[in-house]
Amino acid sequence: MNLTATIGAAAVLTALAAALFTLGAALAASLRGRPELLPAARRALPVAAGFTTLALATLAYALLNDDFSLSHVAQVSSSEMLPHMKWAALYSGQPGSLLFWTWLLSLFLAAFALITVPRIPWGSAAALAISGGVLAAFLLPVAFLASPFEVSPVTPEDGVGLNPLLVDRSMLVHPPFMLAGLVSTSVPFALGAAALLSGRIDGRWLRSVRHWALLSWLLLSIGNLLGAFWAYTTLGWGGYWGWDPVENSAILPLLPMTAFVHSMMVQERRGMLKLWNLALVLAAFALAVFGTFNVRSGLVASVHSFAVSDVGPYFLALLGLTLLGSVVLLALRSGRLQAGHDFESLASRESSLIVNNYLFTVIALIVLGGTLFPVFSELLQDARITVSAPFYNDVVGPLLVVLLVLMAIGTVLPWRRASRVTLLRRFRGPVAVALLSLALLVTLGVRDRYALAGLIAAIVLLYVTLREFALGARALRAASGRHWPAAVLALFERDRRRYGGYLVHLGLAVMAIAAVSSSVYQQQTRALVAPGESFEIGRYTVEYIGLRERTDLANGIESEVVSLLRVEDGGEFVAVLEPGRRFFPNFPGQPLTKVDIETGLREDLYVFLQGWDSEGVAEISAFVNPLMIWLWIGAGVYIAGGLVVFAPVQAPAPQRRELPASGAAGPVAGA
Amino acid sequence: MRRRIGLGAAAIAAIAIVALAALLALAPPGEGSASAPDPEARALQLERQLLCPKCTNLRLDQCELQVCHDMRREIRDQLAAGANNDDVLLFFSSRFGDRVLADLPRSGFNLVLFGWVGGSIVLVALGGGMTLWRLRRSARPLAAAGASSEVDERWLDEQLDAGAGGEGGA
Repeated sequence: MNLTATIGAAAVLTALAAALFTLGAALAASLRGRPELLPAARRALPVAAGFTTLALATLAYALLNDDFSLSHVAQVSSSEMLPHMKWAALYSGQPGSLLFWTWLLSLFLAAFALITVPRIPWGSAAALAISGGVLAAFLLPVAFLASPFEVSPVTPEDGVGLNPLLVDRSMLVHPPFMLAGLVSTSVPFALGAAALLSGRIDGRWLRSVRHWALLSWLLLSIGNLLGAFWAYTTLGWGGYWGWDPVENSAILPLLPMTAFVHSMMVQERRGMLKLWNLALVLAAFALAVFGTFNVRSGLVASVHSFAVSDVGPYFLALLGLTLLGSVVLLALRSGRLQAGHDFESLASRESSLIVNNYLFTVIALIVLGGTLFPVFSELLQDARITVSAPFYNDVVGPLLVVLLVLMAIGTVLPWRRASRVTLLRRFRGPVAVALLSLALLVTLGVRDRYALAGLIAAIVLLYVTLREFALGARALRAASGRHWPAAVLALFERDRRRYGGYLVHLGLAVMAIAAVSSSVYQQQTRALVAPGESFEIGRYTVEYIGLRERTDLANGIESEVVSLLRVEDGGEFVAVLEPGRRFFPNFPGQPLTKVDIETGLREDLYVFLQGWDSEGVAEISAFVNPLMIWLWIGAGVYIAGGLVVFAPVQAPAPQRRELPASGAAGPVAGA
Repeated sequence: MRRRIGLGAAAIAAIAIVALAALLALAPPGEGSASAPDPEARALQLERQLLCPKCTNLRLDQCELQVCHDMRREIRDQLAAGANNDDVLLFFSSRFGDRVLADLPRSGFNLVLFGWVGGSIVLVALGGGMTLWRLRRSARPLAAAGASSEVDERWLDEQLDAGAGGEGGA
């Protein structure tokens, strides 16, 4: 008997039993009127989390000890791999990633059961039943369809090792964040479904879901941004987002979740969008299940996909059940959701947030359609069509520009209503900035219409957001005599949601400027060079010195061939870059490109080795990507803003009295 | 006074929109879509418009398969022989099918996808427009502001006035 396999499989089965107990006890409490079962149903979820943790620890133990008697360990690890890369092996491959996914799910649901369920007496039974059901649904394939504890009939001497694409430091953080983001949609889903099931569709569920939704949005954002960083630094094509079907699957749940973190403010403040908000959290979870199905079924081929396997049909059925259940619940309760609202005027922030939600919906529908279209074309036309980046750039790109414009408008518009005087007062600055930036950009030689529209929208967003910070800090300085940095920090203490949100918008504006510049004004060249020869790209002269081979490498890398490139800018030495190719003996047809990047505030010089011949003549691809580092700086600001919004409020906000108290007959009241 | 300011705002907005639209319409296309005169630049541009016939969703300039090396050489040979960009794209699409074209042709079954895009936009715009219209019809001014957010809004306007020399006309 293989003790490791037995312990791991037993832990998964026990966790499954605990999840089913939660489901059964919560249903009995609800349907048979036995509320005394609820505490046990609640406690069973942390128990399930404990056993999934044991299962994951068992798999980690097997990986660290090179226990190749387990098929999964033999397929994703090898004795040469360093311990930190075995962490990446833990969630690679179908069975490992499913176990990791389920472990994270159990942690989220256990935290939900411990923190939130006791505070929602109106829907605790329904929330627990949904949580138990969801966890059991994901544990079932781990136990019976794709177990990581399956024992090989013959134990190999060594394992195959990690897929070359995953032998990268980014893989230590990107998948955990991405998977955590996807599974985190389950908590808002459980709360939304519980609200619908229990008929308590007022503001109470919204108060409970706020932090969970923000956490989910933040994790999904970080996961996608880390994925973009991995694509840029590892995949070797000079870009960071290729609209790959699995990238699309990862961003799809983020779209309704982003819409929700905006629209829940509208419900909180104005009592609107009740049905819409419920639909958004249900859609986010359904899209997360769709992503799981897409990656694990081999439905749409992608660099990320696992092989075609038995779990595909299972997840398709789960997706169908989720969609059907969501639609039925929404339809049943829609009558109760037509309650009154406090809408006053189209010229208001709530209107801009509603339109922002429409845009997110359209973008999600387009991305979903583009992702699934190859499947339909194959089914109906017997020809697999590729929907690649140009389609999304053409269709989604302009919508993203409109979204930037809306973000700026939403920042400027007040809640409730605005008079023409207020509108003029608030919009004259942004309009002037738009005109000035247009003139400046045209003078600088920017001619591409998409670049102009995107850059102007981003600059205006940057302006209106910074103006909010400046005005707030100035008032606090006047009231309290604080220095500027202290006044800005005090704004975050005063209203974390508002100013944290502005920080997110600031990050997005910076990212948009970098994204437009690096895509529209990217320079590319490919050179065939013999040792000693040079080529030019942008302001750089790149001299090819020669090839060098290294063999003293770990993690299953047999050898690495690098081309030494001496880079000069106007005769001045800049750097020696070493792009190359890594070879893996167990993956003979899958050498990994190793890119090298010289990063600067103005631009990145991005190079990779495309090939070479026996004479040492190398084929080098080189890109100059303007302002690329600002994409990552903007991403950092975005995440920082997200953390500010998410951080729990420690103390009540200072009294508004702190601000100048005059203006009682201000323009809002007088409109 | 208020009416004059409202007209002024409308005039500024109109001038801004017309100026933006005119400049965007008159601006020549950017480098990305220009027909580059340099043969190597044209070749690279064509590589980005083609996909590997064997891989999924991998641009020709990124792929390292032999067939893609051959295609890249063929592009340069054809350009040297005087072919234009459309000739080259047609050559590869007739040889491998439309799946090698990165720009999805707007014809045949692909129109279903473009219809989906248009339908999504129209549907959401109609549904959303109707919702906003209904909201506007049922909109009602509420009691005097008292919530802290409204105090903030008034305060913001004051700050804007202070920044602009206190010319607020409310």
